[in-house]
Amino acid sequence: MKFADFKYGLSEFWSEFKKERSGLVGLAILILSILVVIFEPLILPWKEANTKWRSIDYWQDNSAGAPPAWTNFFSKQKAAITVRLENPKDEVIEMDGGIKLATYTFDYDYTADKAPLDVIFHMIGHGDFPVQVAVERPDGQIIELAQRFEQGLSGQDIRISLDNDGRESVFTFIKSHESEEALKEYSSKSLRTCNIVFNQTREGMATEFKSLKGNYKFIVRALLLVPGYSEVEDPYTVVTGSVSGLLGTDDSKRDIFSGLVAGLKWALIIGLLTSAISVLIGVMYGIVSAYFGGAVDSVMQFIYQIVNSVPILPVLIVVSAIFKPSIYMLITAMVLFFWTGSVMTVRSMALQIKEETYIEAAKALGAKHSRIIFKHMVPLLIPYSFASMALSVPSAIVYESSVSLLGLGDATIVTWGQILHDAMQGAAILKGIWWWVLPPGLLIAIMGMTFAFLGFSMDKILHPKLKTR
Amino acid sequence: MYKWFAVKRMLKGIFTYVIIIFIMSVLFNTVNEQTMRSSIEEQVRAETMRLKNMQPSALQRFQEQRRQELIRLYRLDRPLMERILFRTWNTITFNFGKSTIIKSSRGDREVLAIVGEAIPRSLVLFTVAMAIEIVVGIILGLKKAQKPGGSLDRSTSLITMIVYGMPTFWLAMILIMFFVYQLRIFPSGGMHTVPPPQGIMYYIDFLWHMTLPLLTLLLIGFWGIAFVVRNIVLSILQEDYIMAARARGIPENKVLFGHTLRTAAPPLITMSVLSLLASIGGAIIFEGIFSWPGLGNLYWIAVQQNDIPVLMGDLAITVGLYQVGLILLDLTYGFMDPRIKVGGKA
Repeated sequence: MKFADFKYGLSEFWSEFKKERSGLVGLAILILSILVVIFEPLILPWKEANTKWRSIDYWQDNSAGAPPAWTNFFSKQKAAITVRLENPKDEVIEMDGGIKLATYTFDYDYTADKAPLDVIFHMIGHGDFPVQVAVERPDGQIIELAQRFEQGLSGQDIRISLDNDGRESVFTFIKSHESEEALKEYSSKSLRTCNIVFNQTREGMATEFKSLKGNYKFIVRALLLVPGYSEVEDPYTVVTGSVSGLLGTDDSKRDIFSGLVAGLKWALIIGLLTSAISVLIGVMYGIVSAYFGGAVDSVMQFIYQIVNSVPILPVLIVVSAIFKPSIYMLITAMVLFFWTGSVMTVRSMALQIKEETYIEAAKALGAKHSRIIFKHMVPLLIPYSFASMALSVPSAIVYESSVSLLGLGDATIVTWGQILHDAMQGAAILKGIWWWVLPPGLLIAIMGMTFAFLGFSMDKILHPKLKTR
Repeated sequence: MYKWFAVKRMLKGIFTYVIIIFIMSVLFNTVNEQTMRSSIEEQVRAETMRLKNMQPSALQRFQEQRRQELIRLYRLDRPLMERILFRTWNTITFNFGKSTIIKSSRGDREVLAIVGEAIPRSLVLFTVAMAIEIVVGIILGLKKAQKPGGSLDRSTSLITMIVYGMPTFWLAMILIMFFVYQLRIFPSGGMHTVPPPQGIMYYIDFLWHMTLPLLTLLLIGFWGIAFVVRNIVLSILQEDYIMAARARGIPENKVLFGHTLRTAAPPLITMSVLSLLASIGGAIIFEGIFSWPGLGNLYWIAVQQNDIPVLMGDLAITVGLYQVGLILLDLTYGFMDPRIKVGGKA
């Protein structure tokens, strides 16, 4: 087949394909998801979701099981949304003896009705220095929240969580507002720091929360005692709200939207790789079987029948349970069973083509078998295989997610099936954490639908018999 | 001769089964032997515990002797090929041995008993689902074929494609979330309330537990069947004898159900059995979501408990059922469509 022929065939196919509305929808979704995969680094809210999906440290500042941020829209009491405050105003004042006072001020506009769960300060520290955290509230009051003395650091991450480290100072703060009697009922342990920090100062503030909206300034001060030795780098603050991100978090505090975006490319890789390889093998197998006929055909048909009479998923489950394969091994295992899908159709078509006169002519001219197969048979049959390629993508994705659902997936990657497995383990169904269960499966279903749209449309064009008359 | 065709097909099925089991025995040989050795150790330890008043040296000798005996019993001292063949033979004769952890409902540790009691539970669920699916699918498919390209045809075809790649287990999760924990009208899983009620209530209780799994299977299942029925029926409706029947003034319903469906029966049966087989091969693990104690749920438990003998037995039985299904398919096919010549010498 020459390139011009190919181009002509393609343009003819496209003019037919244009009329299939569902096919166009499928194509659009496919292109969209490929774009998402390409621009993944820009889209991912949590940049290292791919590599650190199972790291506990990476997700520790989120709240567990938080609903999506947009659920605020439907609730009367707006909850604070998890945000990360970066690029603080920094000031370094040099004092006597070379001691430096580094001050970082984070601005936080607080507009919600519920207090955040925690405010967490992070920085990378070198050497020895005391750190101090204070907040300036919209009503002008300043609360000194926490103090710490760091020693002998060499680039470790310092984490100051107000919920843990600020309770004592908050308890001191409410002493000036609450009566003696009311105070007896509270201790520094029973108070939530954020419920006080974001509360209106008044009597009874320990029991009831009334949000004080406005601009909060979190001030982090580090006294760098030894110049050149003590240093602070990359300070940032996370305000942990009770709602978070586009699709909330799971109960190990992971951002589900990041997981889904990271899983998209794996779904595509699994689906496309499995179906492409297996359909190509199937087409070649069918052609060779039909072309040589006789004993070769019998043996090949026998092997085909044996492979075809193995239930795929149970075998995949047992193989993954025993060998704990990587994702590429799993794809290989799926290919070993999937190739049978297109053999019979291709074989019957190849049997027809084989009898054509031009094949006979080629044989008479002394063409080799390989030449006849690759020059005269494969190009005719490959287009037909595209439809079955598209139609076998969904089952590959579903099989992988079924294996992952049992907890047998490749632990080095994130797939949608694994997220569903975690949801099952975390009893998300029982707890009603729908944002953990609904989106991954919906995406699997949408992927399946996309390729079904493509496959059925191509099928209609390539097999005109199925057209609605 | 139909009889010879049947015998030949069955023999071929058995032969295929043997080959598959043999390949699996080769593939899983190492892990099988590991579990066998550890179960031998366990048995020896259990037997030593029972012994009293024995010198340490005599005890050690006894242990060594028992170990050797058991190893010989399970033929672990034989050459590799013989071990594999021995295991293949054991699997074919349903001699799966004992499970490591899982017990059957009677407290049995025989793998055959564990898997055996799961088979009817899976079959009842999937065959009932399939029966309903076929009825609904055929009716819908006929309706679609009557007006191809009509609004009903187009909308249902769209739904067919939408549910094409939808995982059954996910739909199950969503339905449980909605019906069990929101509306609270169905039980969350299992086959019976514990303890099961007596008399007629026992069956009502059973049906009540089965409704949601059935609903899940149905919601995904019948669209595909309707789509295939439509395609088959559509091509039959173009035939001359249908036109002739209509010209003779035979009522439309009779044309549809009498003439068309009779011709369409063989491919429809193929498709139904194939979809049942597909659920054995694919949707079976959705049982785990409903803790429906069938073959699929057994995979979940065996994987979680790392019970290799049960896993192997379950796989062997599933493969076997799949074979039986394929054989039945071919047999009914030859039976339903007399135009297909069977039996070699025609």
